Amino acid sequence: MAGMENSQELQRFLEQEKQKAMISEMVGKLTSVCWDKCITGSPGSKFSSSETSCLTSCAQRYMDMSIIIMKRFQSM
Amino acid sequence: MDAFSSSSPSNGSSSASPEALMDQLKSQLAQAYAEEFLETVRSKCFAKCITKPGSSLSGSESSCISRCVDRYIEATGIIGRALFNSPR
Repeated sequence: MAGMENSQELQRFLEQEKQKAMISEMVGKLTSVCWDKCITGSPGSKFSSSETSCLTSCAQRYMDMSIIIMKRFQSM
Repeated sequence: MDAFSSSSPSNGSSSASPEALMDQLKSQLAQAYAEEFLETVRSKCFAKCITKPGSSLSGSESSCISRCVDRYIEATGIIGRALFNSPR
């Protein structure tokens, strides 16, 4: 069997899936955190514009914060 | 990762071509993602909509749950877009 080719193909596939898993975990986590922060009342039939922009800002600020925390630890 | 290529002739399910293995992995991953998402939606919407559990689910609780599920899915999309396709 063409072992080398197959294992390289699998390796690539696994790498890709690992990446996807990381992204999906991050989106899932941030959705949970930002939902709790931004959606305070009972859910309506449509997001208000302030809820939408809160969710967007929440996700982006979380990333900003992650960078600051990483830098803080790197400088210790 | 040689385990995949070297051991397959000896075990019984050696019919697993890389394509079949990848397909199987993909569908198992998809199922795992879906289950995890479902569990999250359940706990979020229970917290939001069933604030005081009564003897049965009321109509307003049911409709709250429907809206909650829709909004949670929408929120997931908003977060994804905020992270990956917006100029920062």
